[in-house]
Amino acid sequence: MTTVALALVKEVADAAHAPRFLYLHWPFGHALGEPGNVAQQRTVLHDMLSMATSAPRPGLVIELPYRWRRETYSPVRDWQTPSQAVVSALGGPMSEPVTSRRAVRGGQGGS
Amino acid sequence: MRTRGLFNSATLFGVVPVGTAFGHWISKLIALPQLRRLAVGEVPWTPLRKPLSDSTVVLISTGGVHLRSDRPFNLNGDPTYRVIPRGAEAADLAISHQAYDRTDALRDINLVFPIERLRELEAEHVIGRLAEDHYGFGLMGSARRLMPAMKEVARRISESGVDLALLVPA
Repeated sequence: MTTVALALVKEVADAAHAPRFLYLHWPFGHALGEPGNVAQQRTVLHDMLSMATSAPRPGLVIELPYRWRRETYSPVRDWQTPSQAVVSALGGPMSEPVTSRRAVRGGQGGS
Repeated sequence: MRTRGLFNSATLFGVVPVGTAFGHWISKLIALPQLRRLAVGEVPWTPLRKPLSDSTVVLISTGGVHLRSDRPFNLNGDPTYRVIPRGAEAADLAISHQAYDRTDALRDINLVFPIERLRELEAEHVIGRLAEDHYGFGLMGSARRLMPAMKEVARRISESGVDLALLVPA
């Protein structure tokens, strides 16, 4: 089973050695953002789903770029495409290096 | 026991208004030594084998969320879990946890348990299906004592054919 976790403490995420972490520099009790801000909550979920489909290797802790209460969130338009935040953190659009790492991993018996 | 001693100080959260700096400090103090001991070896890795739109998704929260009709978590530390059915409405849910400010999460449960958002994504066919059962954990200072419940939840989830687990902290 694939797992994606949110984290609100960077050091804990780094130490946990989990497969995929997204770190948010937001207060405790607000992993998905502010109450009633549906666009913000959906943005974070889009980032989690993007991490599930796009993280190229285990152990990544990606820091999401959203400042607490200082962002305006647009509705997620395209859920099929990985989010901008995750793609940028992974180093640009999915391209050769990621594909080749996948291929190497596949050759070792993973998929 | 050292962990327990530290942990009791976290109950101050319920009484004393504390900023995130103190909360972060306490979290690190409690979690880091245990993680350094437990999180050793290879990082596990299971790539998503299906498109999201075919995947079954489960939600796991450590924000102390449970059905209002269910047994509350012990606020001073609880190594058990609660099952939350996929159809649970916000009004059916409660939070038993005192180590974070629950004011906003009580107004909008999705901040710690985004079940309404995930039901939307299921209806929009972004994800294939929401699992029947989702899981809540409470406050627990000892990772070792939490392990049996975590293993049981992991077993339940893998037996139910879940493809993707989303983990949300408080």
